[in-house]
Amino acid sequence: MRRSLRTLLVLGMLVAAPLAGGSASSVLAQDATEIELWLNTVSGSDTAECIVTNAVEPFNALGTGVTVDATIQANSWNATQTAVAGGAGPDVVTTPGPSFAMELAKAGRLVALDPYAEQFGWGERFAEGSLDLGTADGQLFSIPNEIETLVLYYNKTLFEQNEWEPPTTLDELMALAEEVNAAGIIPFANANAEWRPANEWFVGEMLNHSAGGPQLVYDALVGEAEWANPDFVAAIDALNQMQQNGWFAGGLDRYYTGTMAEVGSMFGMGEAAMKIEGSWFLSDVDAYFGEAAGNENEWGWVPFPSVTGEAIFDLGIGSTWSINANSANPDATAQYIDYHFSPETQARLLVECGLVPAAVDLSGQDLTGVNPGLAEILDAMNAAFAEGNYGYTTWTFWPPESETYLIEEIERVWAGEITAEEYLQGHQEVFDAEREAGAVPPIPER
Amino acid sequence: MSAVAPARGARREASLAPNYIVLTILLAFAMGPLIILFFNSLKTTAELGLNPLGPPRSFMWENFPKAWEMGNFAMTTRNSGVLVVGTVIGVLLLGGMAAYSLAKLDLPGAGLLTLYLLVGTSLPIQLYLVPLYFTWNRLGLVNTLHGLVIIYIATNAPFAIFLLRSYMLQLPRDFEDAARVDGASEWQVFARIVVPLSWPGFLTVGLVVALSVWNEFLMATVFLTEQDLFTVVTSYNNFAQRFTRDWTMTSAAAVMMILPVIVIFLALQRRFIDGLTQGGLKG
Amino acid sequence: MQLQKSMPISAATAAAPIRAAERRRAFVRRRVVPWLFVLPILIINVAVVAGPALSAVYYSMTDWNGIGAAEWVGLANFQELIRDSGFRHAFGNNVIWLAMFLTVPIAMALAAAGLLAPIRRGAIVFRMALFIPYVLPSVVTAALWRGLLSPDRGIPAVLNDLGVPGFDKAFLGTARTALPAIGFVDNWHWWGFLLVLFLASMQNIPPDLYESARLDGASRWQEFRDVTLPGIRPTLVFMILMTTIWSFLTFDYIWILTQGGPAGASEVLAVLVYKEAFNNFNAGYASAIGLTMSFFVGCVIAIFAILRRRGWEI
Repeated sequence: MRRSLRTLLVLGMLVAAPLAGGSASSVLAQDATEIELWLNTVSGSDTAECIVTNAVEPFNALGTGVTVDATIQANSWNATQTAVAGGAGPDVVTTPGPSFAMELAKAGRLVALDPYAEQFGWGERFAEGSLDLGTADGQLFSIPNEIETLVLYYNKTLFEQNEWEPPTTLDELMALAEEVNAAGIIPFANANAEWRPANEWFVGEMLNHSAGGPQLVYDALVGEAEWANPDFVAAIDALNQMQQNGWFAGGLDRYYTGTMAEVGSMFGMGEAAMKIEGSWFLSDVDAYFGEAAGNENEWGWVPFPSVTGEAIFDLGIGSTWSINANSANPDATAQYIDYHFSPETQARLLVECGLVPAAVDLSGQDLTGVNPGLAEILDAMNAAFAEGNYGYTTWTFWPPESETYLIEEIERVWAGEITAEEYLQGHQEVFDAEREAGAVPPIPER
Repeated sequence: MSAVAPARGARREASLAPNYIVLTILLAFAMGPLIILFFNSLKTTAELGLNPLGPPRSFMWENFPKAWEMGNFAMTTRNSGVLVVGTVIGVLLLGGMAAYSLAKLDLPGAGLLTLYLLVGTSLPIQLYLVPLYFTWNRLGLVNTLHGLVIIYIATNAPFAIFLLRSYMLQLPRDFEDAARVDGASEWQVFARIVVPLSWPGFLTVGLVVALSVWNEFLMATVFLTEQDLFTVVTSYNNFAQRFTRDWTMTSAAAVMMILPVIVIFLALQRRFIDGLTQGGLKG
Repeated sequence: MQLQKSMPISAATAAAPIRAAERRRAFVRRRVVPWLFVLPILIINVAVVAGPALSAVYYSMTDWNGIGAAEWVGLANFQELIRDSGFRHAFGNNVIWLAMFLTVPIAMALAAAGLLAPIRRGAIVFRMALFIPYVLPSVVTAALWRGLLSPDRGIPAVLNDLGVPGFDKAFLGTARTALPAIGFVDNWHWWGFLLVLFLASMQNIPPDLYESARLDGASRWQEFRDVTLPGIRPTLVFMILMTTIWSFLTFDYIWILTQGGPAGASEVLAVLVYKEAFNNFNAGYASAIGLTMSFFVGCVIAIFAILRRRGWEI
């Protein structure tokens, strides 16, 4: 592939040479610097290929003397971690989240990006505070790739038929789910067989939308509040109640074995009414609704209900981008990263691939063709973030072991082995140990 | 003898019915899921949703060339083929030599070697992945097929050695001893007498090693990160993640990745049977 | 040696250089040649497994995130291991897994081998069909059975419609049944492999043993018990040993189907190692778990060796 790509490029240059006139010879003479980029397939290899088409290939066509060699890796994170630790790896290091980037940075495997941030003006380009998430010991090591949030999607057609109103408070949500369930419809089209960490979405949503709200989560994250406080206990109890009632996919056993495609089609066909999902679901949602899916249903969304009824969006980062300390060409790598996170490229990725953009300002970009629902969610999300009214997703602001704890041990709550309070107390222990070790990612001040 | 044998043969034939019944049940258990997989590879997505287990009403044969093309199976099959052939040759030759030494040469320190190989087998790969990568990177063996072949030879060897040893132990010593008396070197005894006599064992081990290499995922994704070196399992995985919603295409890809293996196995299996009928297991 | 002793004394001086050469040749033949046969594979194995694994011994005594510098902590990881209830639970699951795989697939393969042996007509079909599941990679087998075990679309759904009780639940998603269900899927692909190994081993049983058993009027069951089983004993014992080792390493099917869930019901040691190393950045602790696994295996091998030395024919 790489060899044929290179051949193609050379051929392309030869063809372009007569058109470009005198400058062409200098392009040919220039020794191309090649940098390597590994793309993961977490959001499907379709998306990864779309990124190649809409970001990597246009960059290579610019003729900057830097060529990006993009490879789609089936087992990207294992391969990256092993290769980086083993003294090699791609020039661009992508990780599943800031806490992962932090571990690599602490180990001295990443290049400090501050000089590049200054050179390219990243400080002005990225939304205020968003780059802070990629810092360790006061230096910038990673760039947040994809800003995410979670909302409550609902089957609009089904809701209209049954005269259900989308809920805004948690009480309304619980009452509605009861009604939906009584009507023989599954309330939530959520399952975790293919992505066990989905557990943490619900834990995080319930904590941030509890009576204490994001402020209390912030306090706990910076060590000024206990995790096992009454508000959080109530939140986890409510989540447990939802599972015990069999509201997720029709029962705990179904929740543990359902695939994304199964629950997605349940949702689209109206066998399930709602779905607690992230903004990433937007690149997928059209496959389950309307003609393509063989139904005439429409979908809608509301912010995930909170105890107070306030609209709260939890801030998350899909992945991070950094420069490998083993890279022979950090400057060229920074050049591509700058291109990748330019508003133009991000806008193109949004329009063409449905990829939720990084925290860069897209006003002034041509966004025609964007899925209207997607645009709506992005607008609301950005407005909330700008006002500082945001919550904290567990995979962005929690240290790694505490996150694993939240994902795995919640299942023991659902299994009736431990209580909500014991769950949160156990989390406190793991969290305290990691906080002491300095593993908590930087939490922006509220 | 000749008068008694047919009678007993008849008795035996008649009483084989229970054997056939039980074996047919086992056969259904083994093949049923595979037949369903094959059925599903021929359905449309819509039909699969309504009819997940039964035979297809539509026959979407075009699923196969489509999956072949999109999964880039032409290239990955070649890569996996190189890995399989290289590893099988290496394991059979080097592992066979070691097995011969253990079974027939009274290797001094055999107990220690056995212990070492077994404990080595019991180490989870994750335990030494990073140091191994580090070394391979230094040696320039990362992102090369032969680099991975060496790893596969090492990880597959212990099992192969012990299995071959157990086959060789069953061989009568007469032939070797006769050859030794005739002045044959140990290498000649190994190559001319022991290997030909224990070929069913070599065939079995070759098959097992070939399958484990063909299906290996973790090492292949960590040590081969260039697109033109991807293996069949890597591309199947990429494929499965691309078509999470389309189990028909994924099934087609799965059928295609197991088909060459089945064909090779069928070819070899005939030889198994030949060997069996020559041997002593006739009813 | 006997020969040398009985040599006439007068010849001894003259024969000395020849004897020395002979002894050297005997030494080479008995001690060096066997090792020459072993050496190539040993070198490769040491380079790939032993060398890197030795560094794991060091890392198991450090606080290491798997990427950067490691900090020496002595035996702290092992002390933590003893206190770790998750570790004990996972170990227990490995033992259950071991019990499942020492019985079900071996019994199935032995039974099928015994039933197949006297059959001529259609034998080739059975042999092939029973082995074929083994050729599937774990990703395919797991995805296939995930669908087949679905209580809404798979085989349980059919049984459910027929009114068979006990099938209206997802076995993989229920704590009590998750581990056996994964074992079932793994075994579906695994037991046919044992069958082929046993059959190949049966080929080496001398035919005259069967002849004489038949002449003694042995029934087919007696034939199987007294001739076949002892005949394939090396292979059988070896597979019992390998099953034990592999049961401590089992990872693929559990990782793909449940990742250790629900609520830790199918957690095993290799899954713990993976999570600690790649998700929690506790590579030092993961090394300690991994070495402990090898230690258990070492114990099993030692027991085998001791029994063998005591004269058990295994």
